[in-house]
Amino acid sequence: MNEYLEKIAKILEVDSVRDADDLKTFPQWDSLTVLSVIAMLDADYGVNLRAADLQEAASAGALWKLVQSKKAR
Amino acid sequence: MLAVVPARERTFLEEMNNFNFPESRSLKLKEVMGYDRRRLVEPGVCISDLAVFGLKHLFERGLLKPDEIDGLFVVTQTPDYFMPPTSNVIQGRLNLKQDAFCLDISQGCAGFVIGLIQAFSLLEQENVKKVVLINADVLSRKTSPKDRNIYPLVGDAAAITIVEKDAADSVIHASVKMDGTRNEVLMIPAGGMRLPSSPETAVLEDVGDKNLRAKDHLFMDGSAVFNFVQTEVPPLIEDTLKDAGVAMDAVDYFLCHQPNRFMLQKLADKMKVPHARMPNNVVERFGNSSGATIPIAVMINLAERVKTGDCLACLAGFGVGMTWSSMLMRLGGLSFCELVDYA
Repeated sequence: MNEYLEKIAKILEVDSVRDADDLKTFPQWDSLTVLSVIAMLDADYGVNLRAADLQEAASAGALWKLVQSKKAR
Repeated sequence: MLAVVPARERTFLEEMNNFNFPESRSLKLKEVMGYDRRRLVEPGVCISDLAVFGLKHLFERGLLKPDEIDGLFVVTQTPDYFMPPTSNVIQGRLNLKQDAFCLDISQGCAGFVIGLIQAFSLLEQENVKKVVLINADVLSRKTSPKDRNIYPLVGDAAAITIVEKDAADSVIHASVKMDGTRNEVLMIPAGGMRLPSSPETAVLEDVGDKNLRAKDHLFMDGSAVFNFVQTEVPPLIEDTLKDAGVAMDAVDYFLCHQPNRFMLQKLADKMKVPHARMPNNVVERFGNSSGATIPIAVMINLAERVKTGDCLACLAGFGVGMTWSSMLMRLGGLSFCELVDYA
């Protein structure tokens, strides 16, 4: 989880991201960021998410839960 | 093989102020995707102009004779007209013989492999000796300058490949898959019979991502295309190699369609192929010209090798349809492999 949050923070170009943070509120949140997150989750966690999945996730933690549930399948 | 690219070059830095995004984010996009320069036609230039220019270039240098052309396939998403076929337009402009079998194929980024397969099929006919395959698009004319999703990556080009019978009769393995349920991922919504172009379809709209495009413009769902490539292309290539009994390590080069550097690096990583064996440098110099990018990748990376020797190459195309295709072949013995400017 911590490693995941660090990776998200790096993509968003901020020092840290917390579990409860809504990713969509960060100034760097745009289509490039969405694609970078999708690519990171695919490469590092073997999970393919759609852009809509990211838009629907309410927080960084919610997205992590989604990744875990997809991985479990 | 010959590629014709417009002489007009535009740079990302010149164009990024058209986009509705902060400059820092556009620069980030440039860095990640590997955007730099691309080639665009002048207003009004069509694919038949690029193709006729290229074929005349070959005729004048004695590299091809008009009467030798038994088949002419034009693979494009941007034909000159709804009707007639652009292959017939080219046939007429060059006075090619009436026995030349002309056919347009509606394919794009997977279209080089699709076109080769069609050319090989035609060459099965005993009296067909040479087939000209043209992969050409002028998609810059169908993209919105205010759409950061697609505008900075598109380039225009025509690739002309002369396909002949090989005396050595070596086997070529290929696979193609298509999925029409995802046909809306890459599309130009208006301009056909379903939604004819009108003043309404020319209106620029923000669909919620700060990009402005009209229904007359090319739309691409970028992240869906990314997922499509990452999930579908590696297994297809693996299947092709398996059918051929060839190991991944034995392939000298993976010559893929060139959507952008980012996607190709991720594809190489997924397939555990060193980046050096999967060239990704077409978009930064010429832009993504749909079906012409694999020939251009050969020209700018392997021209000498395929003229004087050969290499074991796995070609892979992926795009509109959705369509994905791969082909394993010894690529070599080319009598020409060059890129010329159209001005």
